[in-house]
Amino acid sequence: MANFETPELQETVEIPALKKGVMSHSRPFVSKEQFQAPLGFPGELADDWKDVAIAKLGELLKTNRALQVFMDSCVKCGACTDKCHYFLGTSDPRNMPVARQDLLRGVYRRYYTLPGKYFPKLVGATDLTEEVMDQWYSYFHQCSECRRCSVYCPYGIDTAEITMATRDIMNAVGKGQKYSNEIIGKVFKIGNNLGLPQPALEDTLLGLEEDVKDETGIDVRFPLDEKGAEVLVVTPSADFFAEPHIDGLIGYAKVFHAAGISWTLSSHASEAANFGLFIGSNENMKKIAMRIREAALDLGVKRIIFGECGHAWRVAYSYLNTLAGPFDFLDPRYPVPQHICEFTHDLIQRGVITLDKSRNDHRRVTFHDSCNVARASRMGDMPGGQFVIPREVIKAACNHFYDMAPETIGEATFCCGGGGGLLTDDLMELRVKGALPRMSALKQVVEEHEVTHMAAICAICKSQFSKVLPYYGFQMDQIISVHQLVSDAIVLDAQQ
Amino acid sequence: MFVTVLFALLFYVATAIFLVGLGMRIARYARTPAPLKIPTTPAPTTRGGVVVRMGTEVLLFNSLFKANKWIWLFGFMFHVALALVLLRHLRYFLDPVPTWVVLIQPFGMYAAFAMVIGLAGLWARRVFVERIRYISSPSDHLMLALLLGIALTGLGMTYLWHTDISAVKLFFTGLMRFELNPLPTQPLLLLHLFLVASLMVIFPFSKLLHAPGVFFSPTRNQVDNPREKRHVANVKWMIAVEKPAASADQ
Amino acid sequence: MPIEAGGKTYETDEEGYLADLNDWNPDLATAMAKADGADLDENHWEVINFLREYYEEYQIAPAVRVLTKAIGKKLGPEKGNSKYLYELFPYGPAKQACKYAGLPKPTGCV
Repeated sequence: MANFETPELQETVEIPALKKGVMSHSRPFVSKEQFQAPLGFPGELADDWKDVAIAKLGELLKTNRALQVFMDSCVKCGACTDKCHYFLGTSDPRNMPVARQDLLRGVYRRYYTLPGKYFPKLVGATDLTEEVMDQWYSYFHQCSECRRCSVYCPYGIDTAEITMATRDIMNAVGKGQKYSNEIIGKVFKIGNNLGLPQPALEDTLLGLEEDVKDETGIDVRFPLDEKGAEVLVVTPSADFFAEPHIDGLIGYAKVFHAAGISWTLSSHASEAANFGLFIGSNENMKKIAMRIREAALDLGVKRIIFGECGHAWRVAYSYLNTLAGPFDFLDPRYPVPQHICEFTHDLIQRGVITLDKSRNDHRRVTFHDSCNVARASRMGDMPGGQFVIPREVIKAACNHFYDMAPETIGEATFCCGGGGGLLTDDLMELRVKGALPRMSALKQVVEEHEVTHMAAICAICKSQFSKVLPYYGFQMDQIISVHQLVSDAIVLDAQQ
Repeated sequence: MFVTVLFALLFYVATAIFLVGLGMRIARYARTPAPLKIPTTPAPTTRGGVVVRMGTEVLLFNSLFKANKWIWLFGFMFHVALALVLLRHLRYFLDPVPTWVVLIQPFGMYAAFAMVIGLAGLWARRVFVERIRYISSPSDHLMLALLLGIALTGLGMTYLWHTDISAVKLFFTGLMRFELNPLPTQPLLLLHLFLVASLMVIFPFSKLLHAPGVFFSPTRNQVDNPREKRHVANVKWMIAVEKPAASADQ
Repeated sequence: MPIEAGGKTYETDEEGYLADLNDWNPDLATAMAKADGADLDENHWEVINFLREYYEEYQIAPAVRVLTKAIGKKLGPEKGNSKYLYELFPYGPAKQACKYAGLPKPTGCV
């Protein structure tokens, strides 16, 4: 299947020599009318697409300060040029953040600045042509919106914002990406990314209750649509479907059981992820976010907690209050929303739940900081709590924890290679190559500390690594959910 | 006299373009809504914290330091030197000259060398580092040439071909009172002044907008408190009456 | 890219998944497998048939865990694990087996 070479793992992050255009062939399937329409986008390029695109750019410049400031402020200093995992993995210079930005900035300069109007060559301004649009489609689908470049930019220019804006422009002229748009349509129609209808969800959850009963002898519940529960849990639908995600879901259920706090899932909001973020469509992002408010009101819950999902946590933590707030109908003693790690961490701290670390003694664990949790959100009260709290949870659940190299974790963490709407089979080459920096860092802790498992708190990271680990000589089941560790260590009543 | 009138006009026009252009740009940044909370985290959770963060960015180039020590070194050297040199030049515009401006004169003089070294270092990287060469357009080289030209002509006047600096001061203090005093016609001075005026004209239309831009950058100037305080902005998609998600079913 | 089986041509999407679920027949599954260089034996068919039954009832492919449990019950506990399923369907039971069964591809973060 693979018609590309998996890169060699490296000792430290190496900056490759440029290979121009080597990834220009990489582009995801284009969306069709049937997937465009439910999102309010045209199905195909109209004759006047250029005018529409330029007008859309103008509208975004007027309504998004970040875009306007970022278009103007870049001085081409080069600080970001070696920061993108896709550049490090592919060597294509267009995957350097500034070069990616310049694909849009050139058009911005041409149509919205004086020098670009009169001296285009001098300032790198370009006409919007079909060729430029093709480059947009290719390279703005080689950015996982991970924000690593924004950490290092002296002006805080975030390529993710520019990628989102360009994808929004492309959707406005009918050139959408099939993967993201088909999924958003399913969320509107069925309630989640998978297209998992209520009866199937119910059956899956009943099956999990049986499994946990068989395994522990205890009736741990997985409630669905239960009015009057204390907590609404919103989790990625991958948690109902895929490995190792589902073991994390079992972990959440055991934590609620052990803490004696009633909870429920919702079939109306059976998805934490909000792909509206990926395509830069605020309208769709808002619409998707509103489901969560509706579910919380309908079920009469007092708290909202999000499961392990990276971009979902960004939208939940940073945007939910804006998009679907205010949440004055919820219990004001708790932040809205909370992350499952915050919840579990608090219970561990207060001694409400007990973990037996030795049950994870067969594992030596490291932790992958998911990009959007790391650089676009927080947990707890302290800046940087998003790094501390998941690690505290892991360390409370197992005896052997080892961090990867400091330049590859925390705010400097590398994306898994599949974020931002790129977790699709038609981008396999990009996904494998983009995982190179993370895989290299993993190899180092495997060699130094005999690490056996990498834990993560993001559905995309988990799926991406399950798929990509084997390309680099690891096993697909070396990626696990943080709450899988909790699940295996937690002491439930009948076992005491 | 022709030269005096020409440069007087040049500086009036350049100053007008600089102030109006920059003012309009800043107004635009200030007016444009930032609809969502997008600070690059970990970020400060208070206004005071944001002031400190912005301070370390603007005064110490904190993020750049994390990114690349060479670019930081040359960039920092250039900017600090430029600041000193600009402050030193206040003596040609203020009468009487404030004591602190007198005190920084010697530092300002040497800073010009640091400025040249910083610019040369940045230019060398732009030429010799493959990645930075790839992202450079002609204007990026011209901007460095312009700044270097200003620095070198200034140094030339300080150390090699002195000009009648008190006459220059009379010219500029006169301009500020709308009086014309004769400007010395030494070519190096005229070149220096011409390049400076060009820089002022280019400023509001070029990447030099990074100077005001950094203060408006949402990833750096936003407080990380979205759960505690609901962030709202006046944009169409946010305030529009939403249709319930279910209505998208058909 | 349409696929041919039993003398008839069927529409598929870009990735070879059947466009219309109702078009499915066993010959089609065999033809799809052949195109991937694989032969379907009875163990494959157990999985494919289960997927189709599950889809019939729930309009979605089963979770990997549901699938492994069902296969474990049918073929014995030593086969009720995802390793075994990956041996049968190296490109992933959820995706490759769904394709042969004529089901749409599971989407999302999976």
